[in-house]
Amino acid sequence: MSSPMEQFKIEPIIPIQVGGYDISFTNSSLFMVLAVVLATLLMAFCLRRRTIIPSISQSVPESLYDFVAGLLRENVGVEGLKYFPFIFTIFMFVAFGNVLGLFPYAFTFTSHLAAVGTLSVISLLFNIGIGIKKKKLGYLRTFLPRGIPMVLAPLIIPIEMISYLSKPFSLTVRLVANMTVGHIMLKIIAGFIMAAGVLGVIPFVFDAGIVVFEIFIGLLQAFIYTVLSCIYLSEALHEH
Amino acid sequence: MPQLDPTWYVSQMFWLVVCFFVMLFIMSKFILPRIADIMDKRQRKIDDYLEKARENKALAEQSLENYQKAISEATAQAQASLEAMQKELDELVAKRQEELNRKLTKQIQDSEAKISQSRDEALAQVHEMSESLAWEIVKKIGVKDISRKDIKNAVNAAAED
Repeated sequence: MSSPMEQFKIEPIIPIQVGGYDISFTNSSLFMVLAVVLATLLMAFCLRRRTIIPSISQSVPESLYDFVAGLLRENVGVEGLKYFPFIFTIFMFVAFGNVLGLFPYAFTFTSHLAAVGTLSVISLLFNIGIGIKKKKLGYLRTFLPRGIPMVLAPLIIPIEMISYLSKPFSLTVRLVANMTVGHIMLKIIAGFIMAAGVLGVIPFVFDAGIVVFEIFIGLLQAFIYTVLSCIYLSEALHEH
Repeated sequence: MPQLDPTWYVSQMFWLVVCFFVMLFIMSKFILPRIADIMDKRQRKIDDYLEKARENKALAEQSLENYQKAISEATAQAQASLEAMQKELDELVAKRQEELNRKLTKQIQDSEAKISQSRDEALAQVHEMSESLAWEIVKKIGVKDISRKDIKNAVNAAAED
């Protein structure tokens, strides 16, 4: 019986070495590219004929658009719609990464700390960039909110900095933990199917249920990742 | 746990950055503008229809107002012409009545005059007849001292009673 951790193993497909760094095209990279390509193809296919009265397929990207726009409007406000493409891409990328990983023999790149961590850092840098552009030096106020006595500054500033930097960390860990645990559970129960003989029907049915549940979890986690990105964006834009 | 194996960290970071920005580029340049465009068009169309509906409503309201004004004007006109007609009729009736009254009065007067004339004539005839009758009687009974003039006076006196 193979280890349930084996599904997370990264295998190089095309080895690439640049300046001493290994940036090989791996199964993880393959599924990132697949997420991009499939999301693009799906959207392009659904939008091939654009009519005033949307067809069923056209209403898919439109619903996604409305959904993400609604998230931004609720959590950031109307000025947040400027950053719509960024938030929309985060949602689509994570959602496709999560759901693609559920196919048999697929690889879930959202279950890896390095990948999701990078995405969270991109999001953080994006927020810092917007915050500095919007508030200039006033952005430093993030680490020392108004109304705090100067005496407390040496205490407050490190605390605020830690809380600021823990945001991408918590984003990453939440998504990675959810994906990893779900897939481990799927594999462990799948291991019981053969081991249990005729009674293997029970874990089989159970596993089928878990796959459906994991699809839901995958979309939910993409949603949560997006909402939290919106909230961090809102904090970068507004005083708090 | 493969997640904690640093061998592939750089590769994953590299490919994630590449894929994410490629996707961001595709979405913001090709996909999202199309969705925004068609949704915008739809919104504009809906707004157009709403605008048209508002215009039609205003038009209908204007027509209703015009109609009500026309109705009230026509009613007023009809009332006025009805009153004028009534007045004319009243005048005509009054005139005819007066004419008739005059005519009747004249007829009555004429008739009264004729009647009184006839009566006078009849009375005169009665006097004369009484006189001549009395004279005939006096003559017949042979009274000589009564003259014709006496009889006339007596008849007149009797008529006056």
